[in-house]
Amino acid sequence: MRLPGEGGALVIGTSSALIGAVVFLVLILVWIRADSTSRHLPSVLDTWLPDQDDAAEVCPPEFVAQIFSGQDLAFISRLESPDLKRHFLRERNAVALFWVQQTSAVIRRIMRRHLEASRLSADIEFAMEARIFLQYAKLKLLCAVLFLLIGLAGPQKLNAIALYADRLTQRIGNVLREFESGVRTREMDGA
Amino acid sequence: MSVAVKLVPVQEAYDDLLNRTLSRISCELGRLIYLASTRDYNTGNYYHEGLASRFSPEVARKALEIAHRQAFYKVSSFPLEVLASNLEVYLRSSRENPQEFLHTWQRLEPYRVTIPTEVNLTVARLFTSNLRLSLAILRFRQEQGH
Repeated sequence: MRLPGEGGALVIGTSSALIGAVVFLVLILVWIRADSTSRHLPSVLDTWLPDQDDAAEVCPPEFVAQIFSGQDLAFISRLESPDLKRHFLRERNAVALFWVQQTSAVIRRIMRRHLEASRLSADIEFAMEARIFLQYAKLKLLCAVLFLLIGLAGPQKLNAIALYADRLTQRIGNVLREFESGVRTREMDGA
Repeated sequence: MSVAVKLVPVQEAYDDLLNRTLSRISCELGRLIYLASTRDYNTGNYYHEGLASRFSPEVARKALEIAHRQAFYKVSSFPLEVLASNLEVYLRSSRENPQEFLHTWQRLEPYRVTIPTEVNLTVARLFTSNLRLSLAILRFRQEQGH
């Protein structure tokens, strides 16, 4: 039996809405899980707090590569212990999520500093500002995607995205450093 | 006085520390633990009597601080397999009962005090996480009778 045209469209519409709602719920659950993993695992921050401003600089790229590499997982797998493997995955996921949070915080801080500098600057280039903002938005999106996917796929499968996000962070940092030094030079020339 | 002139004695003190003291320690993790132990818990300042008398307390402090940070980043960059081997070498060199050693380290996490100040927080977290895992690996090997 075939459904009449309007009824069929209604069923398809309802199914799509249901699927959409389920996907949305799953994403929220994954987010909550990832967030709670990053909050509840023992952290150096729990017991040892260095100067936040100084310590929250961008993580050196070789360590980002190490966090997201499959080398340690391969070693753990060779030991053939399911408990150890579970322990490893839990630990490495937490470190990867921590890196995402730190990266997000670092770029937020860099952008805030940039906005403050821009407000004081007399000659702002619109194209340059738009480029910086687009890179910032792209990086924030990448961080959100990584935050969601780390719990689902594991850091080892996200190596390429993480390294790309890291390169982008370094690039934004460099562009803004150049911008700030340019502003300072112009200010000194004007003075 | 220029910065370069000031840095020369620090480099000399650093080389001296490397050649006279650190080279005698059998593993990188042991070197890190040794360097962390030269830091005063209350002030965060480093002190080494021999180095301070050969150079000056300030130069010795700076050399120790640099060496500590370098040792920390080196150990943190180790793959898990290498770190577990380093921990095993350190455990053997301590001449303590291996079971007791592992149990105490897992419970008290004394390696947390080896983290220098002003290091990247993600690297510090990776370091503690990898040490927790290395301890679990050694314990697993011990249980397996290796």
